[in-house]
Amino acid sequence: MKNKNILVVIEPNHPHFKTIEKNFLTRNADEAIASYETYDLVVDLTIYRTEKKIIFLKELAKTTKALIISDLTCTFQDRIFHQLPQVKASVSSFFYSPTRTIEYFIRIETEDHIKTMLQNFIDEFFSKVEMKTFENKMIDITFTVPRVVSQIINEAYFALDEKLASKEDIDLAMINGVNYPLGPFSWAQKTGLAHIHSILEELYTTTHDMRYRSSLTLKKECL
Amino acid sequence: MQIKKVAVIGSGTMGAGIAQWFLQQNLIVDLVDQSPEQLKNAIEKIFKSLENLKLKNKISDEDLKNFKNNLRATDLAGIHRDVDLVIEAIVEKLDVKEKLFLDLDRTLPPKTIFASNTSSIPITEIAKNLPIDRKKNFLGIHFFNPATVMKLVEIIDGFETDKQMSQNLLNFFKQKGKVSVSCLDRPGFIVNRVARNFYGESLRIVENYELEKIKATDQCLKEVGGFKMGPFELMDLIGIDVNYSVTESVYRSFFDEPRFRPHKLQKEMVISGRLGVKTKKGFYEYEK
Repeated sequence: MKNKNILVVIEPNHPHFKTIEKNFLTRNADEAIASYETYDLVVDLTIYRTEKKIIFLKELAKTTKALIISDLTCTFQDRIFHQLPQVKASVSSFFYSPTRTIEYFIRIETEDHIKTMLQNFIDEFFSKVEMKTFENKMIDITFTVPRVVSQIINEAYFALDEKLASKEDIDLAMINGVNYPLGPFSWAQKTGLAHIHSILEELYTTTHDMRYRSSLTLKKECL
Repeated sequence: MQIKKVAVIGSGTMGAGIAQWFLQQNLIVDLVDQSPEQLKNAIEKIFKSLENLKLKNKISDEDLKNFKNNLRATDLAGIHRDVDLVIEAIVEKLDVKEKLFLDLDRTLPPKTIFASNTSSIPITEIAKNLPIDRKKNFLGIHFFNPATVMKLVEIIDGFETDKQMSQNLLNFFKQKGKVSVSCLDRPGFIVNRVARNFYGESLRIVENYELEKIKATDQCLKEVGGFKMGPFELMDLIGIDVNYSVTESVYRSFFDEPRFRPHKLQKEMVISGRLGVKTKKGFYEYEK
């Protein structure tokens, strides 16, 4: 990593913005597509849904031939990989992990030496924000933990729609009844409810399955 | 609220655990089962568990003696008439529970609180044929397995439940060290409802029986999500058939709400007889 010329594209709404800004050359999305500097690697940590992400990454690809690692937590990842060959790996960098571990994925067809380089880079990059990494070899829409936990959070909000119990009691129940590491509402707060909504919207838009529609209270709290 | 004597109906895993928890609060407990053999096994299990606590110095010799003396095995007719609370943990069948409470209503005074430990049947429905005064003293008290370890107790009000009485019980459990939460009488209450997607979404991620995917999903949810067990490990432990049955019940109770739709893989596992740890084969295989 020491010999590499790296650009990190990140916005201030990212939970690791301050730490990453201290350790790496950073640009926001607008700055990144306006600059034509030479990089070996671009780490895109913008939190966009599929359509916006595709537009952004296509613009970015016009400015650099560098390999791109992109945060695809709020996207249908297959579409991004299909349209953007320059994106070699994806990460889920902002979704709250109680174990401080991030999921990442490297394209299956990636050559071994590039794959090893990317694995080492991702490990080292996230160690700067004191995060461990976990390689997920099967991605689809979003990543495993964001997908499962967002649905748990959505159900907790549906329960709130019906006034089943208070937020505090629902959190307490999930921690003390089934040993969850934290309650769904605390998890939503730590991740950012708007991001949870984006993940659910992406699941719903991609599958057209009503099981992914967001709760009304969740939508209202995102306003 | 004074709770000094309790009757626990049903001496399976949950009933025995609930009885032991009440004993450890220094209450007098009538443990009831229609099967003398089952009852004998449950008492032996409770005594062994208490003796283990003594060996670990978690309770004193005197505690052990008192707890054992405070436990009485009996049948329905033999329940102390002055019990303050009756809680059932019998089979999850509405008609069986309904009949049990109608029988108890005939023999116990109106002030006795009746409670169900059901995890899926509506409280209001279990109480529907009871007299109105009894309905006021009827509620759900849902413990989690193992009842002596898991802190949570869900307190569920039926439609006619006296709110002050249920609030008093909520406080009683809090004072005794439980985390007691109040919720409406809706399918799955809090935990069995909100936890549905831990399994449902994981099943949709793997879609088919592919062991590598199953292992990877479990590993990811533990390593990244911080869950103590992965969803497939947990389904194996609970029993895939039991988990499937709860999912189906919640799905039907919510009038086929897609959020609770069971997954075809659950059904395939049940049909194939791979029910989890209890059959030595589930999503994983276990040594014989």
